[in-house]
Amino acid sequence: MAISEARKGNDGADGAAASELPRAMTRRRFVAVASTAAATMLLGSALAGCSNASDGEAASGGDAAGEVDYANWDAVLEAAKGQTVSWYGWGGSEPRNTWITTVLAPALKEKYDVTLNLVGMDINDILTKLSGEMQAGVEAGSIDYIWINGENFYSTKENGYLWGPFTHYLPNFNDYIDSESNEVLYDFGSPVEGYEAPYGKAQMQMWVDSAKVKSTPKNPDEFLAFCQEHQGRVTYPEPGDFAGTAFISCLIAGVVGKDEFEKLSSMENPTTESVKAVIEPGLEYLRSLNPFLWKGGATFPADAATVDTMYADGELVMNMGYGAPEALVKNGTLPETTRSFIFETGTVGNSNFMAIAKNATNKAAALVAINEVISPEMQLSQYEELANISVLDMGKLSEADRAAFEDVPLGVTQLPIDELLDHRIVEAAGPVIPIIEQLWLDEVIGK
Amino acid sequence: MGGKRAAKLFVALHLVCVLVPLAVVAVWAFTSSWPWPELLPQTFSDRGIVELFVTSRDLGEVLAVSVGISLAVAALSTVVAAMAARALVSYRFFGKELFRFSTVLPFLIPATVFAMGVQVVFIHAGLANTVFGVVLAHTIVALPYAITIMSEVTAAAGEKLEQQARVSGAGPVRALFEVQIPLLLPGLLSAASLSYITSFSQYFLTLLVGGGTVKTFALVMFPYLASGDRTIASAYGVLFMAVTLGVFFLFELLLKRFASAKTEYFTD
Amino acid sequence: MSLRGRKIKGALAPYALIAPTVVLVLVFIYGVVNGVLQGFGIMPFLGKTEFTLQYYLEAFGRADFTASLGFSLYISAVSSALAVVGGIVLSAALTRLSASRALQAVGISIPLMTAHTLVVLFVVSLFAGTGLVPRALYALGLIDGIGAFPSVVGDPSGWGIVLVYLWKEIPFVAFCTIAIMANVSDRYGEAALTLGASALRSFFSVTLPLCKGALVKAFLIVFAFSFGSYEVPFLLGPTLPKAIPVLAYLEFQNPDILNRSYAMAINGIMVLICTVLAIVYFIVLQRERRR
Repeated sequence: MAISEARKGNDGADGAAASELPRAMTRRRFVAVASTAAATMLLGSALAGCSNASDGEAASGGDAAGEVDYANWDAVLEAAKGQTVSWYGWGGSEPRNTWITTVLAPALKEKYDVTLNLVGMDINDILTKLSGEMQAGVEAGSIDYIWINGENFYSTKENGYLWGPFTHYLPNFNDYIDSESNEVLYDFGSPVEGYEAPYGKAQMQMWVDSAKVKSTPKNPDEFLAFCQEHQGRVTYPEPGDFAGTAFISCLIAGVVGKDEFEKLSSMENPTTESVKAVIEPGLEYLRSLNPFLWKGGATFPADAATVDTMYADGELVMNMGYGAPEALVKNGTLPETTRSFIFETGTVGNSNFMAIAKNATNKAAALVAINEVISPEMQLSQYEELANISVLDMGKLSEADRAAFEDVPLGVTQLPIDELLDHRIVEAAGPVIPIIEQLWLDEVIGK
Repeated sequence: MGGKRAAKLFVALHLVCVLVPLAVVAVWAFTSSWPWPELLPQTFSDRGIVELFVTSRDLGEVLAVSVGISLAVAALSTVVAAMAARALVSYRFFGKELFRFSTVLPFLIPATVFAMGVQVVFIHAGLANTVFGVVLAHTIVALPYAITIMSEVTAAAGEKLEQQARVSGAGPVRALFEVQIPLLLPGLLSAASLSYITSFSQYFLTLLVGGGTVKTFALVMFPYLASGDRTIASAYGVLFMAVTLGVFFLFELLLKRFASAKTEYFTD
Repeated sequence: MSLRGRKIKGALAPYALIAPTVVLVLVFIYGVVNGVLQGFGIMPFLGKTEFTLQYYLEAFGRADFTASLGFSLYISAVSSALAVVGGIVLSAALTRLSASRALQAVGISIPLMTAHTLVVLFVVSLFAGTGLVPRALYALGLIDGIGAFPSVVGDPSGWGIVLVYLWKEIPFVAFCTIAIMANVSDRYGEAALTLGASALRSFFSVTLPLCKGALVKAFLIVFAFSFGSYEVPFLLGPTLPKAIPVLAYLEFQNPDILNRSYAMAINGIMVLICTVLAIVYFIVLQRERRR
């Protein structure tokens, strides 16, 4: 690579340069250059120093190992005071990030003097970082608690990367959450055992622009007809992306039946054969869809984000996701005429959770923050702002709190909670998911 | 002379290819919906601006840290590269060719491979999650660019001038600062700005080494770029370009100010 | 200082000068070797120290591996070849116009400093199925409607990926050659012209040969980069076949830590190919220096 602007100088006027340069570079100028360079270096080392300082602070501010009696909530509150807690979670949702930084974080600061540091990044990247730290035996980890669920929870818990059980320490968990419900006991089929506290409930929904699309499909057969009607204008994210996997799960469940599909949620030691035995008719159905999909089903968008933009621009007539696109309608990305629907054969749903890293530096503050997230007040606020289905047991709430939930008006894209929960299918177990994804790659795409 | 028109046409076409996408993204930063088949956006939104300047309260801090890290990388890699280039150009020493070979390796081996391998090493060394660790990792990736530039410039400048200056009585330090450095200045700034750019846009490496504790702008921006929320992604994109360009022009300004116009380093 | 002292100091000077670089390069090599060893199943932090070729065999044995390798090589070859051609033309055109520094800043520096993922955003907003280009074609009546334009997203030909790399790398190649060209056009070019050679002929017989070394180096850098980075093919590539770095990245991200070995085996194969490239690069570097 010849980036040299100086070649010219070399071939050219060496003599002229020699006589010019010393003059051009007066002492004053030299001092200016040198001090700029020095300032740069200083800035760099100041930053380094500052980071070390904050590390040290975090370490001294963190729980001195074993000294906090976590069972004593007052002690936890006391220990959490002044701590900065790092919450790692998916960072791609602006409405959610805004809610966390403008509602949750100020509340934590004001009530408990806990500073919340939201680190938004892809869950896979978070786990890469966590496993790297665990492998290296880091004791004061940088991750305090994580927004997590499914196979990620399963594998981190299996690998011993999580701290717990901790949910019984949380007053709000004990008071407002039905700890015996399957959604709290199991996460994608794997037992939670107190290693994570629920954050929100999600359920697959589909949506269209009602101004352009008059009728929506109610089951897989109608969906096939829908795809034929809108040939090349329907697709789904490649399974492997969680929305893609969930969507084909809905279709497979519609074909094989809810009860048959839910066998997958408790399947132990799944193999390709055992999973295939259950979902084969579903795979057959998915193959029959291909000719009518975008690009003839020969290729699929790599992630839900791509599908979102294709839908917003009108390349696709239908989109899907966990939860209603209410925020997108409110901020003008999608039109007011957007409407959600689900299949009468049901759609898959799951809970997502918060788990504490084994080597978290600020466990007390993490407990306080998690407890706050599952408080009636914050759950209500999430429902209002983000249309997040609450994880609380409505029967355990006070009269007033329950009424507050019921009083929240449904947005244009939101389906009534009862309707969703009545058509809810439990997702396949964590270890089954990759098998379904592989089967799709081997037997559906391009076939 | 012939060909001038063709050259003009091509450059114009190239500029269109560079600027049109930038303009589109700039428009997207203020747009909330722009459906088919409209050629102009349909609804506008201040969401991007609000996100940048109101909601993300620590953005100023993030930017300061990012720019600081990248400046430190620029300074460090340029100095290290200038030293290496000097050795390669003016000295014979044992293992020189091996050394020369090893300096181009980071060019050719994907940074992701390095990042995946080095994560655990940095954690063991206590460098993970520190600004210093991030600066070090970025410098490694930026160094080959800087060394390539500096080798060319150093070879071109030669030692003549410095020797001349020393013969005429200047001490080695003075000769270095008053003759050699000014002569190398365009190269130094070129190396520094390329190192700066390389550092400023590192995502995966920053993530694994600095892991969220060291928040850089690229780290905050990338989830949005991948999120499908184009309003926010574009707003971050525009700010990214503005900051990078700002620093680039700072380097250009320094060059203009401190280099003599008659050294012919400019292709004006 | 005695003469001998000075001599010793002179002999040590180069080592002092290269020391910082050596340290940094050693860290780099250590990181890469550490990663490559994981591909052989050596992960001391998990108590695994046994050497095994299992992961490499598995990687090569994958049904989709050959297709992926082919796809990656094809994308890199096309991108780097076109980037070199485009870069030469751009560089020559800018030189021909004696482009001002400002023009060069816009034409070369802006693309250099734009992150690849941002360029993906550009390309998608222009060339997706409903991007601005198909809209313009539709408005002009040149295409029928949605779906008539081959979207860049997921296209099996990978033209979107190539487009992103070209946007970034044509200016990079120009960046690598423009100083030489400017210099040549000032000196030899004019001489050749006065001797009666046509502008085009003097370009091919004088300028291009002088740029050869820089061009080969630029080609290899672009090739290695487009071969090794995952972001662009991940976002724009077809579902099958996936580019090699995408395969590695997906395996690396798998929450099961043992899949890291597998990811690293795929990385190892990439490193091998890149090392061959590095050796070629080095030979070019040597030749050019001897000249």
